[in-house]
Amino acid sequence: MNASFGKVQVLKGINLNFPENRVTAIMGPSGCGKTTLIRCLNRIHELTPNAKVEGEVILDGVNIYSPQVDPVAIRRRIGMVFQKANPFPTMSIYDNAIAGLKLAGVRNKEMLDSVAERSLRMAFLWDEVKDDLKKSGVNLSGGQQQRLCIARTLAVEPEVILMDEPCSALDPIATAKIEESIVALKKEFTIIIVTHNMQQAARVSDFTAFMYLGQLIEFDKTSEVFENPKSELTEKYITGKFG
Amino acid sequence: MQRLLDKGLEELTTMVYKMGKAAEKAVAISIRGFLENKDTSNDVHELSEILVGNTVEVEEKAFSLIAKYQPVASDLRIINSYMKVAYDFERYGRYAWDISFISTRFNGQSTCDKWIFEYVEKMAEKVLKMVEISINSIKSLDTELVKKMTKNEQGVDDMYLEYLGKLVKQAGITNECTVSSTLVVRYLERIADHATHIMEAVVYIATGEKVTLR
Repeated sequence: MNASFGKVQVLKGINLNFPENRVTAIMGPSGCGKTTLIRCLNRIHELTPNAKVEGEVILDGVNIYSPQVDPVAIRRRIGMVFQKANPFPTMSIYDNAIAGLKLAGVRNKEMLDSVAERSLRMAFLWDEVKDDLKKSGVNLSGGQQQRLCIARTLAVEPEVILMDEPCSALDPIATAKIEESIVALKKEFTIIIVTHNMQQAARVSDFTAFMYLGQLIEFDKTSEVFENPKSELTEKYITGKFG
Repeated sequence: MQRLLDKGLEELTTMVYKMGKAAEKAVAISIRGFLENKDTSNDVHELSEILVGNTVEVEEKAFSLIAKYQPVASDLRIINSYMKVAYDFERYGRYAWDISFISTRFNGQSTCDKWIFEYVEKMAEKVLKMVEISINSIKSLDTELVKKMTKNEQGVDDMYLEYLGKLVKQAGITNECTVSSTLVVRYLERIADHATHIMEAVVYIATGEKVTLR
């Protein structure tokens, strides 16, 4: 896959296979193309003016960039959690959790209740908010807001969850809860997480990809990458000998 | 640019290397004591006790570096390996003390025939060479050299078994000599094993490859 903004090419010949029901961490220095890569994986990149993508993303044997494929449907199957928690400010916790379903036209109250509880439980948030579901989502702490966004993503039952530095604005306790949920969620979802935090990549991921200047430098089991990286560039980056 | 971790790693390397030199000295003194029929047990015991304390210091330093810097890749391999190597050096010291203690306690070597001294001396030369290379390779990370030493380890094992065979067949050896010399060659064989562990650790540090050189 290649991707660019105008004349600036930010992804150069990336070829990568994300294993199913596993957590894959993507790491690399700022500007290496990590975020662009995951934004290409659910066709969000193309929403930016002048942005261009070349190549294929195959999900269940189908190229999601085929003209027959509806990008909105793809974004439901490949959900995304962003760096900054972004609950809908005018909605309650409950409404935030089921926002995707409501947008899809689901009106059945029993079903919505059930999905709200299930997704909040899966995001490890239910116990903390079950008595305050009608309160505004933005009144939650930063970590709770991020878990609410994870619950919102889970509610539409995606196959893949993309996470773009989901803990970068959180304290260690909130980070630990998100990490706990990531590890639990891989039983049902394939997770791809962009992170600057190498210890986080080591803790939660099964596979790690290291990118540099728009290229994929190394992809391997996380234990291999952190114990015995094959590329000297990876070794330099993870040991802090860069630059 | 020097990282904060680099200073800690340098300190740890120095600690481990000095430990190696003390362990080498302990082994050399104890063997000389046996061969020259001298009581070296006090000197070697002192070195052995120092090495026990050094192992704890290396562990504490290693834990502190892990806690502070969460090292990965080659940094992590070095720290992990040094903890193991420190234990191997401690064992060098312990076996050295065992050699000097047995020699003094039974004084069996005073009744041994000449061929036994020559045999132990020849075996000790091989072991001391392995000890020396194991210590120096920590700094040089010369994986080719340590891989070549695999033959020495096998040679020491063969000599140990050959010696037992000779003792069984040979008549007229005193019980004291049999006990002392058998234990000494056994301890030498164990020291060679620990040298091999250290050389395996050196290959792991340098390449990330987990090898068995035995």
